[in-house]
Amino acid sequence: MELPATAAPARRSPAARQTLLLGLGICLLLVCVALSLALGSRAVPLSTVVDALLGHHAGSGSDAQVVTGLRLPRTVLGLVVGAALGVAGAVAQGVTRNPLASPTTLGVNAGASFAVVTAIYALQLTRPVEYVWFAVAGAGLAGLAAQAMARRAGELDPTRLALGGTVLTAVLASWTSALMLLRRRTLDEARFWLAGSLDGRGLEVLTPVWPLLLVGLVLAVAVAPALNALALGEESAQALGVPVARIRTAAALAVVLLAAGAVAIAGPIAFVGLAAPHLVRLLLGGDQRWLVPGCAVAGPVLLLAADVLGRLVARPSELEVGIVTAFLGAPLLAVLARRAAR
Amino acid sequence: MNRRTAACCLTALVLLLAVTATALSLGEVAMSPGTALRALFGFGQGGDVLVVREFRAPRVLAALIAGAALAVSGQLLQRLFRNPLASPDVIGVTGGASFGAVLLLALGASQLLVPLAALGGGLAAAGLLGAFAWRSRAAVGRLVLVGLAVQAGLAAAVNLMIVRFPAELASSALQWTTGSLYGRTWTEIQVGGAAVAVLLVAVLLLDRRVAVLDLGDESAGGLGLRPDRARLQLLLLSIALASLAAALSGPVGFVALAVPHLVRLLAGPPTPGTVLLSALTGALLLLGADVVVLHLLPVQGLPVGAATATLGAPWLLVLMIRQTRSAR
Repeated sequence: MELPATAAPARRSPAARQTLLLGLGICLLLVCVALSLALGSRAVPLSTVVDALLGHHAGSGSDAQVVTGLRLPRTVLGLVVGAALGVAGAVAQGVTRNPLASPTTLGVNAGASFAVVTAIYALQLTRPVEYVWFAVAGAGLAGLAAQAMARRAGELDPTRLALGGTVLTAVLASWTSALMLLRRRTLDEARFWLAGSLDGRGLEVLTPVWPLLLVGLVLAVAVAPALNALALGEESAQALGVPVARIRTAAALAVVLLAAGAVAIAGPIAFVGLAAPHLVRLLLGGDQRWLVPGCAVAGPVLLLAADVLGRLVARPSELEVGIVTAFLGAPLLAVLARRAAR
Repeated sequence: MNRRTAACCLTALVLLLAVTATALSLGEVAMSPGTALRALFGFGQGGDVLVVREFRAPRVLAALIAGAALAVSGQLLQRLFRNPLASPDVIGVTGGASFGAVLLLALGASQLLVPLAALGGGLAAAGLLGAFAWRSRAAVGRLVLVGLAVQAGLAAAVNLMIVRFPAELASSALQWTTGSLYGRTWTEIQVGGAAVAVLLVAVLLLDRRVAVLDLGDESAGGLGLRPDRARLQLLLLSIALASLAAALSGPVGFVALAVPHLVRLLAGPPTPGTVLLSALTGALLLLGADVVVLHLLPVQGLPVGAATATLGAPWLLVLMIRQTRSAR
């Protein structure tokens, strides 16, 4: 029933080429970090950025404050969220063997959104820092619920995991809209969070989130070789001695943890988790052991580039990063899909 | 059509008639379902006829037509793409329809033009997809990816407008994009209904080709079918059905995704009757959801899309679980 896009590592290119590409990706990421620190409604010279980061106050004091107080946390959050989304996408597509799978399809984003909007509706919260716990709880519960739906005779069925997540997303998203339509103030407060943004959160949002992300990342790295074997088909994997059921559960757990952390920080940012694995697969091939680090680099590149662009195009205001990722990623994915099939 | 499918069709039809009569009889002016049905055809007291024909029938018919169109569209897409997640969302039709409608709301145009804008937007998005991604052979995987890209870009544009709008406008845009059957006119019903009926007949006529395509391109060619052309025809039908549905009811979620699964779990693998059963089930789900939203809930003004998922999901889950038990 699934498309073969995540099939076995077909074009196995030499490791040297892959290392080179990954190195280039990291350089690109550093450029994005620098741009994210330097650009915005006010451009700050790179030398001032460096001084501010090193703690010298040689440049003008307020420039330094902008860099360390606003842009540094924002950039760090962008790195974390981008990497989490990218890796979650890679594992999600690997375990479901469905190229349409992403953290969004597993119900996690919808769970977080519904929890946050419910909290805004019932408790009248107004600050992103207050939303974090609700987002984590909602994402976690939804992710676990999708997995529970997908169990078949005690084992996780990948097709049903994707379907269960999509069903759950449809239900929760429709309830979220209903809550926003019931009270105007909820709509006004929630629509900004729902667009997905890195703005206005301090580094303190990381406190409840980082353990989830760490565990998720470790699991993602650990299951990578086994997911390669699974791509060859369940029976071949079993013949190779892979404990299929356990690997699927661990992989699904990794997706839930990573996506829950990301959505708690930045709101539901669609598309990075979907597009990053496709991009990386085109460049590095389908080997999950390269896909995970590749997506850990490509995710933040996409997210930071989108965030910087969102600050520049609408100056002195800005566009929410979740909106920009979709605008940027959509044509990119379309062009790449066209190329790849040629 | 095998006996199981026929039995399911009959059950769905009976339920559909019951729900239709109920929907026509409920409201400020209460009447019995029988009176409502008679009033629909012009018999009975003048007041009843007016209420049923002018206020209730257009909404009920819009739900029936849109539900049937969405379900058949989803059924075709899932079989063409061989992907259980395929639905009009995946190929950009929903995004295009929402974008067209919300853009029109933003420009302050008359509400009457919104269905036209939705229809145009859905077809335009599908056209964009086709121009960009259709390259005959084995194009299906690429088509899905490009479709997702189109959908994501358009959804972001809608999202941007909702974030930037004043709250008043954002609310009506959100209402529309969640799906709403409010204020449908007889003209829309007649035009939309006729178009959907023609398309459904075309689907029934072409349905055997889907089964042949399922055998694989080579076997299909051997049986005298040109696979690429057949696939394109079916895809176009599916897109047109989804766009028409979006024009009538807004992009109601879940019907197109869930009904094909429900039908397969109820009636087994696809047979010639499956298209009919899908249409009936889709109409039943959307109309049932609308009755719940309008008459059974204490809160007013909820979008029907919020109810389709809430009503449909447990049903789907129970069937999934029961299927698991019998598979053990």
